[in-house]
Amino acid sequence: MRILFHEIKKIFTWRILLLLVIANAVLFFLRIEFHISHFPNGRPSLDSYRIGIEMISKYGNDMDEEDRRDFKKTYEVQVQEANQYLQSNKEFAEAGVGTYEDFLNIDWENKEQAALRDKIMFEEQVDIFWELPERRRLMDFHETKEARVGTYKNGANPRQEARFDEMISAGHYQVYPEVVMENFKEFIFNVAIAILVSVVLIISPVFMKDRSRQLLDLQYTTRKGRELYKTKLAAGLISTLGVITALLIVYFGMYALNNTEMYFNVPIHMFIDSFSWYDPTLLQYMALTVAAIYMLGLVYALLAMSFSSMMPNYIALIGIQVPFVIAMITYGLTYLVTRIINIEVPQWVVPTSYSGMVAVSVLFIIFMWKREKHRDIVV
Amino acid sequence: MDIIYYECKKAFTSPILIALLLLFASYNILLIVSTSDRREELKVANQLAGKYGVGITDDSMNQFREDLQHDLVKLNEITRTDYSEAELDFFTELQLKEKYYEMANDIDNRYDQIDWEQIGESQINMYRFSGSAADTMKNEYIKLSLRFEEMKDNDEHKMWFFAGDPYKMHSFLFRTIFGHVIFESLIIIALAAALITNYEFENRTHLVAYTTTRGRRLMRDKLAASLLTATTVSVFILILTLGTYFAVFDYSHLWGSSISSALNWEYKLPYVSWWNISFSAFLIWSILLVYASMMLFTAIIFSISIFVKNNYFTFFIFAVFFAVALLLPGFIPASTNLIFIAGYNLSQLVMNPHMFLMGNSSGAMMFKNYEWITICAWTIIVVALSYISLRRFRKQDIH
Amino acid sequence: MIVVKNVSKYYGNFCALNNITLELHNGVYGLLAPNGAGKTTLIKMLATLITPSQGEIVYDGKNIIHMDDEFRALLGYLPQQFGYYNNYSPKQYLLYLAALKGMGRKDSIRIIKELLEKVALSEVGNKKMKKFSGGMIQRVGIAQALLNNPKVLILDEPTAGLDPKERARFRNLLSELARDRLVIVSTHIVSDVESIANEVIMIKHQEVLYKDSVENICNTLAGHVYETTIDYGHLDAFRNRYTVLLEKQESGEMNIRFIHKGAAAEGWLSVTPSLEDVFLYEYRDEIRMEV
Repeated sequence: MRILFHEIKKIFTWRILLLLVIANAVLFFLRIEFHISHFPNGRPSLDSYRIGIEMISKYGNDMDEEDRRDFKKTYEVQVQEANQYLQSNKEFAEAGVGTYEDFLNIDWENKEQAALRDKIMFEEQVDIFWELPERRRLMDFHETKEARVGTYKNGANPRQEARFDEMISAGHYQVYPEVVMENFKEFIFNVAIAILVSVVLIISPVFMKDRSRQLLDLQYTTRKGRELYKTKLAAGLISTLGVITALLIVYFGMYALNNTEMYFNVPIHMFIDSFSWYDPTLLQYMALTVAAIYMLGLVYALLAMSFSSMMPNYIALIGIQVPFVIAMITYGLTYLVTRIINIEVPQWVVPTSYSGMVAVSVLFIIFMWKREKHRDIVV
Repeated sequence: MDIIYYECKKAFTSPILIALLLLFASYNILLIVSTSDRREELKVANQLAGKYGVGITDDSMNQFREDLQHDLVKLNEITRTDYSEAELDFFTELQLKEKYYEMANDIDNRYDQIDWEQIGESQINMYRFSGSAADTMKNEYIKLSLRFEEMKDNDEHKMWFFAGDPYKMHSFLFRTIFGHVIFESLIIIALAAALITNYEFENRTHLVAYTTTRGRRLMRDKLAASLLTATTVSVFILILTLGTYFAVFDYSHLWGSSISSALNWEYKLPYVSWWNISFSAFLIWSILLVYASMMLFTAIIFSISIFVKNNYFTFFIFAVFFAVALLLPGFIPASTNLIFIAGYNLSQLVMNPHMFLMGNSSGAMMFKNYEWITICAWTIIVVALSYISLRRFRKQDIH
Repeated sequence: MIVVKNVSKYYGNFCALNNITLELHNGVYGLLAPNGAGKTTLIKMLATLITPSQGEIVYDGKNIIHMDDEFRALLGYLPQQFGYYNNYSPKQYLLYLAALKGMGRKDSIRIIKELLEKVALSEVGNKKMKKFSGGMIQRVGIAQALLNNPKVLILDEPTAGLDPKERARFRNLLSELARDRLVIVSTHIVSDVESIANEVIMIKHQEVLYKDSVENICNTLAGHVYETTIDYGHLDAFRNRYTVLLEKQESGEMNIRFIHKGAAAEGWLSVTPSLEDVFLYEYRDEIRMEV
């Protein structure tokens, strides 16, 4: 235990910690901050977000026919309010815009009307006029929900088709606004990038450091001997878990500022978003992406450590990992994190990829350990 | 000279660097070849330029129209329904030609609708510029509209080019392809320069190497070697990538076309370069700008290496430096000109190679002399930085 | 007791050690050989850092490779060059190695304190090692080798970087330690082992040349070592005829120590051979090649 602690301490030097903090600050401002400070991103995203909360509190996790009628009624009531607003506003009355219907049909060429429209939309930002189109959009989705599934089903393969049928028979249609879902996907994708880079940054030197400093002669002739390799490996994995957890806490702490907890218990099939193989709630989906990040982090930590015990110098150590990291960020992450249960990704792809990656990285490190056990420590 | 050769050899005998170089080059080739399915359709623009001359004039348009009508007559003669391959090709080609004709016909109309000062206003609103920053922006857009008027007068934009919508060849070449080249070169260069600079310390030959006759001046050779290596790397990737690109996509009659061609209108705004330059000139300028940036980055990495003396940290510190420069303008209040000054940095420059010399960009990048000022200013900074590092190294204790 | 049984080590076609057999008991062994003779290879095999291509090394009848940590628990090793962390103090560094040696924390703290005193580093025990001189680092190295009170102590060039005073102190320390353990000191500084080694092992051409007491080894040249004084002018001719061990200028003439296995000439003074004489004589080919 004491040795393990020593090894962990050796990983977290103050320099590497400083670099870790700076790198994450940069990645945060470069890729993550936007999805927190700009959520909801203007209008009508804000309205979409608010209406979503209202729908969830009113209709819960299942929106039936009656709920949809209620939603429509709310819309109509609001249209009446809009009418009243317009009628009570002299300018609009004079410009010939007396009803919401008129408002929607405002002629862009008519400078006076266009100016009035801009005034209440952009200058005064009257909520009701932003909310109504968003409600209308949602209602359109409600009306075409079966047709939408039908369109997707047409181009589907048998497995996807079976899944669509399952959703149809369960009455799972996409009816709730997608802002929160989309925002979370963007957020978690970029968090995954930051964590992947951080793990590689922290873990890569694990074996190379002592080797390049010629410490092995001393370490391997102690009682602990070459078993130390395994302790270093364990220290690397524990540090990986520590770094991932710490960063997740920080980033999810930031994410909490988005105030999306009202959405957490809604099953993701309710959101107007891509279709999924399974029906987790948003919170479960989040947990799934977090688990995915842990898995990826561990796989990349194992790879980093294998390379660390193999490569001749730091340049080679970074160089060999560059393609792996870039490939994961540009091609892998979407499939392995955000679209982890997306119906467009064949059901077997994600579990197979993870099993494959885990198998390869574990076999690789086992191979490196076997090699280390009998290796002549010459220089 | 021998010494520089030996220093370069250190980078070029590193299997990882060679492997990365080959991997990146083949990736680029794959990327280009995988998009080559558009090349048949793209031939039309090249043909038009070949047949009617690269400039779009009233005469050539008349000629074009006549030919089109002739083709239409031919089309109407085909009455069968089982078309041959050649006939189908003829149909698509004719359709495309008609599209190009319409686009060319529509140029004046579309250009007349553009009001740069108003676009400037909306940019100012969008980025919330105020105070002196807003004034600077306004002035620059006034200059741009003068330039735009000049362009409309001399018809330099009336030249055949691949239709920007839908092909977006300018973005593909100068943003995607150049972006890849820049990013890839930068990674290899960063590794190679750090490797060369810290080589003696990493291999514990420093005590021997820096006490030879050459002594600490060896560091100067290392700088030269890093620059030479960076040159080789960039040139290698550029030649292979651009060679493949121009082998796949035929530009034979379009080299002389204007980079501000109205047909090359991809998104909301047309490309309006501050100078009247041809596609080939723009390509050469782009290569030179990228090359200059690479040299400057090399010297920056060299300086970091001297200060940090640890390859692992050098690489990541450079990555952080690059990203921080990218972020910098975002942290500066949008009310002062400082926000533009912060934009004059190499990271901003190389992140937007498709906007080199263009006025239809945003932020500092749209300014007329952005590229020259950035390169010149950073040359001064980098020369100073290299000088300081070399001086520091000369007096440093070596343990 | 360590027995090296018919051990060979090959790197590809290159033979680093050829069929070595040795028996080592408690006491100090001086391992003497010029560079490249296979000295470090033998040491590294005794330290389990490299494995023999042929043969085996046994401790009390058990193969040291199979003994694994059981053997290393008995082992103290000071490599010729060893690494350390710049911003660790000797105490932190020794604590770390003590942990690797499986020692309890409390014991370690006490032992480290004693050892730092022994190697005269108590005052800098908490200073970062990056400011240390070569001699100080070397003394930290000696301390770490002694941490686990080893039964087998292997020291590769232990006096490198030490000044004469430190060297004398080290020799005393060594004699004290050797009473109840097996100490192997590899060196090419003959005087380091001459006075304290019970036996000296000399390796030549990847094989064991001598393994005997200093006295016996010296006796192999008994009666063949002479000293004489000659003119400068005769020096080259003299060098060609005899194996010259030492040349010293003295009041315009040359004072020569040399070997001759035959009748003595007039004016030659027969002297007692020293270990250095044997060393220079046995490795004369290698030495000449190096000059």
